[in-house]
Amino acid sequence: MKLRSLLVPVLLACSVTAQAAEKLVFYNWSEYLPEGVLEQFTKETGIEVDYTTFESNEVMYSKLKLQKGKGYDVVVPSTYYIAKMRAEGLLQPLDKSKLSGLKNLNPALLDKPYDPENQYSVPYMWGSTGIGINTEALAKGSITRWADLWDAKWKNKLLLTDDVREVFHMALKINGHSANTTNPDEIRQAYEKLQQLMPNVLVFNSDAPREPYMAGDVDLGMIWNGEVIMAQEEMPDLDYIYPKEGAIFWVDSFAIPAGSTNVEAAHKFINFMLRPDIAKLCSEEIGYATPNLKGYELLDENVRSNKIIFPDADTVANGEFQTDVGDALKLYNDYWEKLKTGK
Amino acid sequence: MIPSNKPVLSLGSGLRWLFIAGVMAFLYLPIVVLVVNSFNESKYGHKWQGFSFKWYEKLWHNDALLEAFFNSLTVATLSATCATILGTLMALAVYRYRFRFRQSASALIFVVLMSPDIVLAITFLIVFMALGIQLGFWSLLIAHITFCLPFVVITVYSQLKGFDGNLLEAAQDLGAKESQVFRLVILPLLRPAIAASWLLSFTLSLDDVIISSFVTGPGFEILPIRVFSMVKVGVSPEVNVLATLLMLISLVVVIIVPLLLRRKT
Amino acid sequence: MKPRFELFRSTIILITLFWLGLFVLAPHVMVLITSVLSPDPNNLAVWPLNLNSYVNLWDSLYLNVFLDSLYLSLLATGICLLLGYPFAFILSRFSPLLRSILLFMMVVPFWTNSLIRTYAIKLLMGKKGLFNDVLLGVGIIDEPLQILYTEFAVIFGLVYILFPFMVLPLISSFDKLDRSLLEAARDLGANGWHRFWRIIVPLTSPGIIAGCLIVFLPAMGMFYVADLLGGAKNILLGNLIKNQFLVVRDWPFGSALSVSLIVLMALLLWFYFKANQYIQRKGGLDDDTLK
Repeated sequence: MKLRSLLVPVLLACSVTAQAAEKLVFYNWSEYLPEGVLEQFTKETGIEVDYTTFESNEVMYSKLKLQKGKGYDVVVPSTYYIAKMRAEGLLQPLDKSKLSGLKNLNPALLDKPYDPENQYSVPYMWGSTGIGINTEALAKGSITRWADLWDAKWKNKLLLTDDVREVFHMALKINGHSANTTNPDEIRQAYEKLQQLMPNVLVFNSDAPREPYMAGDVDLGMIWNGEVIMAQEEMPDLDYIYPKEGAIFWVDSFAIPAGSTNVEAAHKFINFMLRPDIAKLCSEEIGYATPNLKGYELLDENVRSNKIIFPDADTVANGEFQTDVGDALKLYNDYWEKLKTGK
Repeated sequence: MIPSNKPVLSLGSGLRWLFIAGVMAFLYLPIVVLVVNSFNESKYGHKWQGFSFKWYEKLWHNDALLEAFFNSLTVATLSATCATILGTLMALAVYRYRFRFRQSASALIFVVLMSPDIVLAITFLIVFMALGIQLGFWSLLIAHITFCLPFVVITVYSQLKGFDGNLLEAAQDLGAKESQVFRLVILPLLRPAIAASWLLSFTLSLDDVIISSFVTGPGFEILPIRVFSMVKVGVSPEVNVLATLLMLISLVVVIIVPLLLRRKT
Repeated sequence: MKPRFELFRSTIILITLFWLGLFVLAPHVMVLITSVLSPDPNNLAVWPLNLNSYVNLWDSLYLNVFLDSLYLSLLATGICLLLGYPFAFILSRFSPLLRSILLFMMVVPFWTNSLIRTYAIKLLMGKKGLFNDVLLGVGIIDEPLQILYTEFAVIFGLVYILFPFMVLPLISSFDKLDRSLLEAARDLGANGWHRFWRIIVPLTSPGIIAGCLIVFLPAMGMFYVADLLGGAKNILLGNLIKNQFLVVRDWPFGSALSVSLIVLMALLLWFYFKANQYIQRKGGLDDDTLK
């Protein structure tokens, strides 16, 4: 009797470690996949998906680095992290013969300097970071530029994304520098500029920046365009502004870590996500722009014409896409910790 | 002689109950919010939008959340069991035997007790990296066992201290081996302490956030980690449901089981 | 009683030393070593040895976080004690049954993961949350207050999460309180207030100190409370440590921060033992005088 009760936990442990036949660990940004997509994938292919999420590129990178690229099968880094992780041997080249859906993608977003010929990554979504404003509380026209956030009247009122590159982007742009600068002086100047902004910051949030707007805790700050689209369902007064100095544009891509043990399943999954109907669903549900042209064509006319999701060419040209800054990232991060620490 | 039921230091009885009620309200307010929101039609829980069971139904279909929950239960059960066994043996070793590093052993147990979770989390992370242990189920289990240990050791040790030494000596004089003394004499006497330790370890393991978030890895997600991103996002009606159900189950277990046991004996 | 060589005996001693050595001693030593290595983006920490991380600690910025989180934790500990002491005191006067029911009720919320409960607190504190609704309804304020994302919110969260850790040691020291001492004091004509300060407080001071230690140290590390209720700013030492490990990846500096916490802990423990010794000596004296 005693012996048997001791055995139960041991058996439990065994059942936990026993692996299913085909499995996939998908490590994605939180709130970055519509409900039901994974279930559909499992239904169609029989591959089980373990879904875990992260809230910043840095955390994703640290976890991957700790595991030496093992443990995860598909990850979704932002562009500039693709370059970094590729250089450090954390990613493995994709087998394009297994990715028939590649042809659906917009060529304008492929073959970029961060990953020539897309050897390691396939774009999932692209979007922008701009200014979010609750038009019920504030007049929409009153805010047009990043610099408006520096106004002292917003003391303890703003939301910033919890993302070093995005926050530095604002200051670098205001100072007239490139948001992808590696010049230490320019980064330092941006840091000094941001120090003036810190008293205005109420909260940092990169999990779901829409949430504090919806809860009524903030009316103004940074936000991602897709978050605005999602929030508008319950809060039509939330609006999105492309700042005059130029919005931040980014691309998030699928990649397979070097230590992945389910490479076959990972390719199947990425190819599944490249299907026009899936791309359409993702774009619709989570509010970001899909790089999938076939998927784009399936979208509703009012979604396609929504300037928040698909800005016109001028707006895009005025903004700047994030690229890898190499070793300067350490400098950014050091300043970032100080900013978040100062009162 | 003073009648001992007369309060030694008197506070107004009404005042006393008011204070207790206040503290309980403080402790239960967030729980009430969780329970109420589990029936709230609204997704975000900022406003009451009507009574609904839909989140209960949704939880039933939320495999990821349920899996994380069962993983948590598994880890809590296993770590509480292992910690109770290990901790009881440790308390016994420290109590009954004189050996080298005995002082250091009790000091180390104290260190675990007093170390802030964040420090323990860092130490675990570093040692797992150094030993090449993959972060996941095993790292989580080892960490949980270790941080539960001191609570078991202290509970068991304080009961051991209350023992009648003659009993143990008598057993030994009759020629019992150490293992027999343990099994036949000490263990039965320790039963309440062991039960209490297990329950405490189980609670601590379920409640932990900090250590788990450092030592867990891909492929084995437990509830707090799953919930960490969810709650910040605010989409958590299913989590409310889970919390409500869990509380209900534990209440039933803790209230009914002792009643049943009492009837048996 | 002669110690005999016994398989059972040596096995459990071996297990004890093995586990504690491998998972407690070695890790703590490794944190110490890591803290004097140099950070490296690829290998986490590398030679040569240096004290740069400790020099960094004295950067006014980090020193301020340290002081701030000391202050917040102290405040939280103080509030826990202020609430917990009368709570434990009142409970200890109740019948054993009533007391165990109330203690049980105190522990029940703990079966809900603290993260979930912290989230519930967040809902209460929002501009449209219950707290503001009540304050507005009663007419104390005209505009919703900014409660969430302030230090007040963080302190509230800390007190909430750590309250039982204060109460449990207090209860056990009230249990040990010898009623006859109090009765004797009353016979000698000491009034209630006098009995409280001169007898009850000193005799329960081991519980007070233990409770404060058990609340104070963890409070400094509770990064998720600061993340959720404080707006993800680096308010507590725990946020700083977590970010050094998981975001900035400067493990030596993160370790140095942890070591500073360990040192603080050691100091407090030393104080705890000294205080205990002192109390016991005093307690002994008091016994004599009362006899």
